[in-house]
Amino acid sequence: MERRQIGLKLVLDQLDLPVRVKTFEDRLILQKAVYLAQAAGVHLGYYFRWYLHGPYCPSVAEDGFCIATELAQEVDDSKGWSLDAASAEKAKGIRGLVTCDDRAALAKRLELLASVHFLIDRKQVPGQSPEKIAAVLQRFGKDFNADDIRRALGELRNHGILP
Amino acid sequence: MASSPEGEARKIIVDSLHGDIHLREREWRILDTAAFQRLRRIKQLQMGQVTYPNATHTRFAHSLGTLAIMASILELFPTKGPRKIGKRQRENLRMAALLHDIGHYPYSHLMEGIDKVALTEEIVGDVRTRSFDAARSPYPDHVKVGQEIVTRHRDLIDAIGGRKRAKQVADLFSRSRAADPQLSKLLHSSFDMDRVDYLQRDSRAAGVPYGDIDVNYLLNSLRISEKRMVGVAEKALPAAEQYLFARFFMYKAVYYHKTTFGIEEACRQLLRRIRDVNLFKMPRDGEAVLGLVRSPDLASFTDDYVDRLVQRASKEGDEVMQALARCIEKRRPPKLLHEVQVLKKAENQAFNRGTVFFSTAKRSLKALAEKHGIPLGQFLLCYTKPLKLEPRGAFVRAEQARGLEPEEEDELIKVFTGDDPEPKSLVEIEHSLMYVCASYQWQAFRLYVVYEGPDKKEVVDRLRSEVRNWAECK
Repeated sequence: MERRQIGLKLVLDQLDLPVRVKTFEDRLILQKAVYLAQAAGVHLGYYFRWYLHGPYCPSVAEDGFCIATELAQEVDDSKGWSLDAASAEKAKGIRGLVTCDDRAALAKRLELLASVHFLIDRKQVPGQSPEKIAAVLQRFGKDFNADDIRRALGELRNHGILP
Repeated sequence: MASSPEGEARKIIVDSLHGDIHLREREWRILDTAAFQRLRRIKQLQMGQVTYPNATHTRFAHSLGTLAIMASILELFPTKGPRKIGKRQRENLRMAALLHDIGHYPYSHLMEGIDKVALTEEIVGDVRTRSFDAARSPYPDHVKVGQEIVTRHRDLIDAIGGRKRAKQVADLFSRSRAADPQLSKLLHSSFDMDRVDYLQRDSRAAGVPYGDIDVNYLLNSLRISEKRMVGVAEKALPAAEQYLFARFFMYKAVYYHKTTFGIEEACRQLLRRIRDVNLFKMPRDGEAVLGLVRSPDLASFTDDYVDRLVQRASKEGDEVMQALARCIEKRRPPKLLHEVQVLKKAENQAFNRGTVFFSTAKRSLKALAEKHGIPLGQFLLCYTKPLKLEPRGAFVRAEQARGLEPEEEDELIKVFTGDDPEPKSLVEIEHSLMYVCASYQWQAFRLYVVYEGPDKKEVVDRLRSEVRNWAECK
């Protein structure tokens, strides 16, 4: 594993998120969880761009595939490494956001949370208006309404990801 | 090939690759800014000139070339109807092409990537105490830096046409804009103009034939679907395949050339060491980099910036820093002790001769260094990034390609086949070479030493002989 892949694996461990990349849903959860961890202040150095399902980073996809391939063959270079204490705390702090037994529901929730944060953080919407954010997401065929956005904003604020 | 005048052309620049490039007023003003002129002092091929002496071309020339190709591609899009691109969007896309590399660091990707570099002592021996520091913000990638430059520097903002427009242009090349992903995709997809330009430009500058592609035929074969997907006509399949092979061979022969890669790895490790101990006012983290590029000091953030750090490290650094710095300064590239090249299917990558070599080195290198009295940091244990024929192909089997979401297909070349109105991925076409080859990836695992003692030849020969069988160890 490359150094950044080791960092990614350590963060996913703190989030209690197994490295799964088999389905698009798995990969979406991975993408959005990494996005949210970085938004919470865990710096892995991935740069996300906007696409149809919100923020997306090809390097996360690639590193996720590499880690999953190695783990499948029982290779885990992150063993013996630890995440710095402050980052580990931050990652643990958002564990509640990325935990859910229903994978489909989790994927949808994470897509919403990450998209809302991205649109605000990159100043793609003025202020934090739920209606305007909903309008942007509807342009991408998403069925999130203003109430969903309000709940997402509340969760992001509660976890210290948005001021 | 020359770029299309497309109306309103005010100036012409002659390019060695594309011929006449017609520039509009705004583009000319962009060229005149200090931020853009900085690109004249950043070499496109990092330290490639240590191997290929003529490879001294710059990000400045490449940026102009990218604009030329964008101009050609824009001619394909109608100005009316569902697939139209309006006048303002065309102008923005042209400016985005011109500015897509404005955020490059000195020596391009070399300095940008120092956070991904593992120092030898971090990967060798006992790692039980190793800590990954995710509290320090890493250096942002050049796209993020570019976004900052385009939206912060007053003269550049004025040249582009105001703050709002500068943000629109930055959003296009950084793909931040939540509006029309297909537009920015022109800049980023596998068949993107950035790659079309750099493969040819780098190939010609280096003097090797591997990057030559049939660019005119490819451009003339491009089609746009109703959903604004860009792909090539099926008749251009050989040209598309050759384009992917050209990229593959350019990486093997030029970008990952053992001499260039060795000296660049020495520089990456040196810069990380300097940064980690806060020497010579090198930006300590990503925030400091952003602070630097927002300031007038941006103009001096060029290859010379790194050259000065190397010069200071060669005199004022610790023993390892001095050794690394001198090898760069005096062009005494690290000596390759052993290399293992691996070509395998991506899903079989975890165990191979390369990873065995690497594992053995992790266990044995410390003892070897002590035996020869050479500091561990002067050994460079590294590997190239896995190189795939189709960037995403190695992880995407043909039967999976249909199930990919648009963002995951980003880098797969699309081909229009039969009467299908939408193109399909190259890896899905059964008679394509990529159908078979895309799942393979190549990687080189390398061990170098930086050593300049009077007994250099004997020491290097002994080291080579001692590590020769490391790929065979259990």
